[in-house]
Amino acid sequence: MSAYAGDRTTGFASPAADAIEGPIDLSDVLDLRRPSRYPVRVRGATFSARGILDGDVLIADTSGQQASGQLVIACAAGQVLLAELQARRGHWWLVSGDDSREPIRVDPAQDVDIWATVTGVVREKP
Amino acid sequence: MTVYGLIDCNSFYCSCQRAFEPRLKRLPVVVLSNNDGCAIARTAEAKGLGIKMGDAWHLIRNERKLSGVQWYSSNYPLYADMSRRVYQVLLEHVPRVEPYSIDEMFLDLTGLPGDLADRCEMIRARVEQITKIPTCVGWGPTKAIAKLANYIAKDRPEMEGLCDLTDELVRMRFYRNLPVSEVWGIGRRLVPRLQGAGIRTIAQFVEADPAQIRKIMAITGVRLQAELRGESCLKLSEIAEQRKGLACTRSFGQPITSYSDMREAIAGFAARAAEKLRAEKMDAGHVSVFIQTNPHRRQDGWYANQAAITCAPTNNALTLIGTSTRLLRAIWRDGFRYAKGGVLLNDLAPAGQQSSLFDQPEEQSPALMDAMDAINRRFGREAIKPLSTGVERAWRPRQGMLSPRFTTGFGEVMEARAW
Repeated sequence: MSAYAGDRTTGFASPAADAIEGPIDLSDVLDLRRPSRYPVRVRGATFSARGILDGDVLIADTSGQQASGQLVIACAAGQVLLAELQARRGHWWLVSGDDSREPIRVDPAQDVDIWATVTGVVREKP
Repeated sequence: MTVYGLIDCNSFYCSCQRAFEPRLKRLPVVVLSNNDGCAIARTAEAKGLGIKMGDAWHLIRNERKLSGVQWYSSNYPLYADMSRRVYQVLLEHVPRVEPYSIDEMFLDLTGLPGDLADRCEMIRARVEQITKIPTCVGWGPTKAIAKLANYIAKDRPEMEGLCDLTDELVRMRFYRNLPVSEVWGIGRRLVPRLQGAGIRTIAQFVEADPAQIRKIMAITGVRLQAELRGESCLKLSEIAEQRKGLACTRSFGQPITSYSDMREAIAGFAARAAEKLRAEKMDAGHVSVFIQTNPHRRQDGWYANQAAITCAPTNNALTLIGTSTRLLRAIWRDGFRYAKGGVLLNDLAPAGQQSSLFDQPEEQSPALMDAMDAINRRFGREAIKPLSTGVERAWRPRQGMLSPRFTTGFGEVMEARAW
């Protein structure tokens, strides 16, 4: 598309013609073209204290190292969950944002897996 | 020495569905062809229940033993994006990758440092971690050997997904025990002819007189013998060659009986084919249209016909819709139940090159197509479309069990419950 970008003026030559950078591309900023990046929609608000609200879209990454305190997308009993990862007593645990729930131990043999770590959040209508 | 690898995604379409629905992890999953016709991908659990490739869904869906099977319509936007991810992960670990099919890629493993088995195991683990898709890898000195190694890796659980056929002695042991039908490119029709010549195992094929092989399967057979001996004849090609023809054809969800529905369908195929042309920056100089009834229901009457015409090279949807509709009018007969139709474009050449002095310049402006493509890229396929391609589309293929497009539609991404 031959769109005007601040360069090809018809009267006075644009002094910025050699300095065109184009609009910001959020898929570049969020690195969405990497094979490990997946958007995931959040349902529920138990992590509102960490700034994650119902309906937010998380940018999840499946390539990364896990660290204690990180938010992760996890699978447990066939369900996809957003949880906080914590290292305790030599194991990884999924911790709920809601204090009333007991942590679940990460154990692929019991079908409790970490699917991805959360690297960003997109909120469309704040 | 050259080393080629072949990595193959296990039950690829099913694995793509499982990637985003962990509840499917141990369930039998089957993906159906266009129009929910027949099984085209099965997990090991589904194979274990006796479901075969090509089984017709409407014939087996009610069998009691299959009540737990998870059926899916094929979701090609999802599969294409997952294939792209697999390819990108591979490129992080090997210098050259050839996407041979949507679920198989050749790797150039020549001269890479370190132990190849370790590297292939690491590649498999990375692909599975990043894309959630399990794979098998086979490797050897030629592509035909890599393909065979991959088959062995997949077929024998004790190989744990890896098979190294770089060693000639190892190769010969497998060759003596494997039927010649497992060789890449030796199809069902060739097997009886090879057997007639006393060739049953791969070892017998490799040792056969090339003159005899040439009689049965021409020069490709002789090349295949050389490839299996470890002499590389087939090189890695990183992308497909420029295509010579392009088609858009479909089986209809329910038979088309009226001309206006068929005109809509054919216009839709022409518009889609034109879109593919523009994406590849090509023009077509030859258009053909075909329609046919169901060949398996000849009692309802049988009719099939096609018409074709040479035209000034174009990739304009409106021009191609016009041409296709004129061709359809010439072959349409009332009173039949049409099951399938399509538009085929040929004589492709880079866009904008006029083929002869006498061609009329395009009546339709390319600006309209540019604008349509830009809008559709931004707002999704068919956000705007020529009205002749229909609105209701009662003929459209059935996709009754389609999953969300988890990675390509922003409104359809995977959901996670905040726990």
